[in-house]
Amino acid sequence: MKKIVVLSYGLGNVRSVGNALRAIGANADVSHDEHSIMQADGLIIPGVGAFPHGMANLVESGLVGVIRKYIDSGRPVLGICLGMQLLFDKGTEFVPTDGLGLIAGSVDIIPVSPEMGRLPHIAWSTICPTEQGRQKMFAGLTDSEMRFYFVHSYAATGVRSDNISATVSYLGNNIVAAVQSGNVWGTQFHPEKSGPSGLYFLNNFISNC
Amino acid sequence: MSKAYFGLPEEVIFCKHCVISNQRPSSSVEFKHKHDEKKATIGFDDQGVCDACRYHETKEKQISWEKREQALIKLFDQHRRNDGGYDVIVPGSGGKDSAYTSHILKYKYGMNPLTVTWAPHKYTEIGWKNFENWIHVGGLDNMLFTPNGKLHRYLTQQAFLNLLHPFQPFIVGQRIIGPAMAAKFGVKLVMYGENQAEYGNNPDDNYVPTMDRKFFSVGDPEEMILGGKPVKEIISEGQFKINDFAPYIPPSADFLEGKGVEVHYLGYYLKWDPQECYYYAVENTGFQANSERTEGTYSKYSSIDDQIDMFHYFTTLIKFGIGRATYDAAQEIRNGKITREEGVHLVHKYDQEFPQKYFKEFLEYIDISEKQFFETVDRFRSPHLWAQVDGKWVLRHRVE
Amino acid sequence: MRVIARLDVKNQFVIKGIHLEGLRKVGDPNQLAKAYYEAGIDEIVFIDAVASLYNRNNLFSVIQKASEEVFVPITIGGGLRSLSDVEQALDAGADKVALNTAAIREPGLIEKVAKQYGSQCVVASVQAKRTANGWEAYMETGRERTGVQVLDWVRRLQDLGAGELLLTSVDQEGTKSGFDVPLVQAVNNAVSIPVIVSGGYGQPKHIAELLEVTEPSGLCFASVLHYKTATVDELRQNIALARASGIK
Repeated sequence: MKKIVVLSYGLGNVRSVGNALRAIGANADVSHDEHSIMQADGLIIPGVGAFPHGMANLVESGLVGVIRKYIDSGRPVLGICLGMQLLFDKGTEFVPTDGLGLIAGSVDIIPVSPEMGRLPHIAWSTICPTEQGRQKMFAGLTDSEMRFYFVHSYAATGVRSDNISATVSYLGNNIVAAVQSGNVWGTQFHPEKSGPSGLYFLNNFISNC
Repeated sequence: MSKAYFGLPEEVIFCKHCVISNQRPSSSVEFKHKHDEKKATIGFDDQGVCDACRYHETKEKQISWEKREQALIKLFDQHRRNDGGYDVIVPGSGGKDSAYTSHILKYKYGMNPLTVTWAPHKYTEIGWKNFENWIHVGGLDNMLFTPNGKLHRYLTQQAFLNLLHPFQPFIVGQRIIGPAMAAKFGVKLVMYGENQAEYGNNPDDNYVPTMDRKFFSVGDPEEMILGGKPVKEIISEGQFKINDFAPYIPPSADFLEGKGVEVHYLGYYLKWDPQECYYYAVENTGFQANSERTEGTYSKYSSIDDQIDMFHYFTTLIKFGIGRATYDAAQEIRNGKITREEGVHLVHKYDQEFPQKYFKEFLEYIDISEKQFFETVDRFRSPHLWAQVDGKWVLRHRVE
Repeated sequence: MRVIARLDVKNQFVIKGIHLEGLRKVGDPNQLAKAYYEAGIDEIVFIDAVASLYNRNNLFSVIQKASEEVFVPITIGGGLRSLSDVEQALDAGADKVALNTAAIREPGLIEKVAKQYGSQCVVASVQAKRTANGWEAYMETGRERTGVQVLDWVRRLQDLGAGELLLTSVDQEGTKSGFDVPLVQAVNNAVSIPVIVSGGYGQPKHIAELLEVTEPSGLCFASVLHYKTATVDELRQNIALARASGIK
């Protein structure tokens, strides 16, 4: 059984992620302990909340270094929603804040004017995977199964195309839905909340571990 | 030790299962109701459980409702008419109980009911709407009888001042109209909804499907007591004649028997659940709950058609220490809709709420001042129930 | 448009009423939630029907179990009064919290929760009752008037940081006679955050009637699911049909 650590840093629906992992047969631990983290087969960084808050918590709890160390070990990492957003260079939610800088890009508000539609983007949406996405992250899912739950107002911009694994369309905007950089995966959507498709995706992640 | 008014039990105890107290009065024979009447109250057994709860257990476990329904069908078979004549009188207002009773009699059991309504003192908007829907949507014939307002208001005023019982004229008329109309129309069967015995009148009344003769034995009408005053005394004041009192004089039990009139309770034959009546009424007769909670309780669908009704419950609170929320909660606890814990919370929260909404209308209706209202109310606060703390009236006991 | 199931819970039973009154027990919350998840529901909303009466929260164990079996967003509402209640709810497994009475009493709470946990986690729950000139907001499970005008209130809620609105029509709730279309239209036009509509669905034509005029972000179903009058798939089909007929 694969041992996955779900990073606990005060912001994030750790319980849901843990539950989803258990449902697909992984051994899931919620932790912020360096030792446990470094022993894991895979690391998931969840996140629900604001960018500056998330970064502040990571810094305060001394987890920034741990995350970097883990990534350097080459083992798989998955950032979910805010967890993915924190992987980038910076975010502009509330105040400009530096991110972890592990993937090039910036996290900005989705440009939607009131006449066009609403924010947050809260929807079940079908994503468009790139070639890269189809190979590993979304392998095995049919096009219609690639429907996931999104809830966010900010999205990654200025991301290199070879880092993008999937996009999703919202009111004329092509939003980054998933990214990959080496052993680091990120999803803007919540796989732990996307029903059977989400669980399938998580299984893809686990198989990688 | 304080002396309890109305001969109520000195010690106040609350039922262990529901929230009712042992102060709950049984129905009076209204036309004998004098201000010094000693009240019969609900019985409690030695385990601290009230009669109504005990009866409910029986309802659940010991009664064969199939047998009872068979008896009902047999009763209907004896009375049913297919020649266009009415075969049953259903008294009611179009509220959830009479809506259920009348509709089910017509559409399930194939009877031909005439519904008869003794008008509320003062219709609320929602009450009138529900009354109309009962007829137009439910599909029923109805006769609405409204008694002479002058006398009705006078009796209400007197009943309030002498007995703190403003609802008396309504209760008197409502009890009479079913049998009276039956006699007039040559219909032998009168079917009411629930039997008050379920809630704590004499529990033996539950095992008898028909109504007690004592409510129809009046003797000389001028000796009747209405509003706490003998009718002949009211007549001697000059404003009213004996003819005016006709709607309040019950036909005698002998007369009714002579006409073959039988009064039954549907609650004897079918397992009664007020909430299910609500659902049924919503689904079949266009009944609508009120948009806002009734003052003094949490409920929105029970007894909402009379502006004076609130004062009936308020005066019950004053005289017996229990208000509308207590009555509603007790019934819902027994029927398994809410737990006792929730009932207690609801009582604490709503029971003593003053019915502000129609207060002005009420004062106008019975033509008294606010000062007189509160002076009268305070006269009926039994010291075994009420105490004055910092100039405010406080109940000595509350359900826990 | 999201298809959402609403479960009102009391004493470990899902209950269903009419006009938020007269509450029949219709099933076990976890069993129903699981069934709806398996049938493909988009989200589940659990409302604690008595929390505001008791001053205590009762649904955390239900949520905990639900979050182990149901992998779609879970919202919890009813009796959440403070930041600490919200924290407990999220810890128990809720993804979003719905606030009504607490927000009326202390609007600043919306702001606090949004700042701490993000707007996406804050659902402002509004119970609207028709009045002579608009709609009034009610609280405490539709029992108490607030004197607050719904249209003003929803704008304020958005300003305070609510991520979504859960709009329930007290007039239509449980009646199965259709949505309060003017209400939905007015609220949908008043805010630019997603609006989820609850209360009144009975037949497919009700969706068409609504979509002809305005399109909310989600529809919340209770009676029709709990009494098994329609399946999740049928509801989705009805929505798709309504939209396909070229409606707004």
